[in-house]
Amino acid sequence: MNKRSALLAFGLRKLAGAVPLILGVTLVSFVLTVHFGPDQTYALLGKNPTAAEIEQVRAQLGYDQPFVLRYADYLKRLATLDLGHAQATGEPVRSMLARTIPVSLLLLAPGFVLGTLLALILAALAAWYRGSLLDRVISGASVVGMSLSFVVILVGLQAVFGVWLGWFPVRGWSVAGVADYLHHVAVPTLAFIVATLGYNTRFFRAVLAAEMTSEQVRSARAFGIGPLRIMTVHVIGNSLLPIVTRILFSLPLLVISGSLLIESHFGIPGVGRITYAAVMSGDQPVLMAVVGLSAVLFVIAVTVADLLCRLIDPRLAST
Amino acid sequence: MSSLVVQSGRRLRGRLAGEPVGFLALIVVGAYALVACGVWLGWWGSEWSALAGPGWAAPSAEHWLGTNRLGQDILARALAATATAFEIGVLVAVVTTAIGGLAGGLSGYFSDGWPDEVLLWLMGTLDAIPFYLLVAALAFALHGHPWAMHLAMIATFWTTTARLVRAETQRIRRLPFIEAARVAGLLPRSIIVRHILPNTAHILLVQATLVFIAAIKVEVVLSFLGIGTQDSISWGVMIAEGAQDILAGQYGNFVVASLFLFGLVMAFSLFADQLQDSLDPRTQDSRWQPHG
Repeated sequence: MNKRSALLAFGLRKLAGAVPLILGVTLVSFVLTVHFGPDQTYALLGKNPTAAEIEQVRAQLGYDQPFVLRYADYLKRLATLDLGHAQATGEPVRSMLARTIPVSLLLLAPGFVLGTLLALILAALAAWYRGSLLDRVISGASVVGMSLSFVVILVGLQAVFGVWLGWFPVRGWSVAGVADYLHHVAVPTLAFIVATLGYNTRFFRAVLAAEMTSEQVRSARAFGIGPLRIMTVHVIGNSLLPIVTRILFSLPLLVISGSLLIESHFGIPGVGRITYAAVMSGDQPVLMAVVGLSAVLFVIAVTVADLLCRLIDPRLAST
Repeated sequence: MSSLVVQSGRRLRGRLAGEPVGFLALIVVGAYALVACGVWLGWWGSEWSALAGPGWAAPSAEHWLGTNRLGQDILARALAATATAFEIGVLVAVVTTAIGGLAGGLSGYFSDGWPDEVLLWLMGTLDAIPFYLLVAALAFALHGHPWAMHLAMIATFWTTTARLVRAETQRIRRLPFIEAARVAGLLPRSIIVRHILPNTAHILLVQATLVFIAAIKVEVVLSFLGIGTQDSISWGVMIAEGAQDILAGQYGNFVVASLFLFGLVMAFSLFADQLQDSLDPRTQDSRWQPHG
C-alpha cells in the first residue's frame, strides 16, 4: 500500500514535469503556425473590402487580441480538438486526420516493426560474435546503410521494382484487400527498412556488446545456459531501457519523415501528404493541428514510457 | 585467458585496422573539398544552369556524364552542388557547435541554477517537436525564405552538442584547476570560455563532423520535398529532378547525384568514426537520430 502510494506520487510528479514541455512545444507551434503564419484576413474577404469589413474579419480571426489570449485560445482549441476547417477543401481538420492517420499507420507499421526486429537480430549476431568476420561485415554494412539517403533509397527502389522490373505499383494507394495492401506497401516497407537498418543495428550492437561483458552474462555462460536464452533473457533483457528509449525517440522522426517523403512521392493519401500539401499551399489550420498535436503526443508518450520503464525496473523508481 | 586481455587485444587490432580507413576517408573528403574550392574560384561548375546541349544526351567528350532533361551538363551541376553541400554543412556545423558549446558550458557550469533549468527546458522543447514538422512550420512562418532550412537545422541540431558539453562541463567544473580559477577571482564567463570549453574540444570536434553529415543529408530530403535549397543547385535538387526522369527511363541525373552524395557522406562518416575512436573512445555514438 505504502509502495503503491509512493508510486502514485512519483507518477503524478512525472506528469507534472511534462507540463512545462507541453507549454513549450505548443508555444513554438503557436508562434510558427499561427502568430507568424500568413495573414488570413484577405483570403476571407471579397474584392475591394471596406475598412469596416476588414475590421470585422480581423476581430473574427482574433487578430485584435493580445498574444497571450490568442495563445490561450490556441491551447483550448488543441485540448478540445476544435481544429477548424481546411482552407483548400473546407473539410473539417478532424475528419481529415481521422481519414489519413490510419493510412499512414498501415503504410509505416510493417516497415517499422520488421526493421526493428531485423536490426535487433543482426545486432545480436554481431555482438555475440564480436570481432569476427560476421561482426565486421554487419558493422561495415551499417555504415554503408547510414550513408544512404532515405530519398535515394526511396527513388532507387521505386526505379528498380516499379519502373525496371515492374513488380510493384510506382505510385498510388488502392487497398481493397490483403493482396492489394501487400502489393502497395511492399516498396515503401522495403525503403523504410533499408533507411533505418544501419542506424538501428549500429546502436543496438553497441548496447548489446557492452552488456555481453557484464558479470551476469559471464556467469550465465559459465553455467552452460544456451546462447539464445542468454541473448534474449540476459543481454537484450538487461538492455531493454536504452533499446525502448531509442525506439520511442526515433518514432516521431521516422514516422513523420517517412510519411512525408513516402506519401508525397508515392501519392499515398496519408497524414504526411496532407501536411505536405498544407505546407505548399499555406493551409494554416491543417499545419497548426498536425504540428501542435504531434508535439504534444510525443511529450505524453515519452512521459508514459519513462513511467513504464521505471515500473518494469524498480532500481530506477527510486531516482 | 582473461577476457580483458582478449578484448584489449581486439581493440588494438581494431584501431590498427581502422587507421588506414580513416586516413583514406580523409583523403576522399579532401578531394571533395578541393572540388568545392574549385567551384568557388570559378574553375569548374560555373556553367551549371547553362542549356549546353540536347536534352538527355548520353555521356560524350563534351558532356562527360551526359545532360539532364533540359540539356544542362550533369557533371557541372554535380560539381557545383558539391560547393553547395560544403556551404550548408560548414555553416550549420560551425554555428551549431558555437551555440551548443556555449549553451552546454553555461548550463553545465550553473547546473542546479536557473540558467540550467531554462536551457534544459528549451532543449527538451526543441527535441520534442518532430524535426521535419518544425522545418515545415519554419518554412511556413518565414514564407518560404531560403534561410528557413538553415535556421531549422541550427535551431534543432545544437541540442545534442549542448547536452554532451553540459555533461562534460559538470565533470570538469569539480576539478581543482577550475576551483583555482574561481578562487583567483575569474568571472564565470571567462572560466567557461577560456578554461572549460577548450577542454571539451574533443566533443565539439566530433559533434561538428556529425552535424556536417546530418546537414548534408537533411538538405537532400528538404530539397526533394521542395522546401530546401532554392534558386541554386544541390544534390537534393538534382535527385528531385532525377526522380521525375526515372519515370521516363532516364537514370543519369539520379545516379550521379546519389553517388556524389553517398561518397561524401560515407567518407565523412568513416572519418568521424575514426575521430571519435581516437579522441574520445568513452563517448557512445551520439548519432541516434537518422536525420534523413
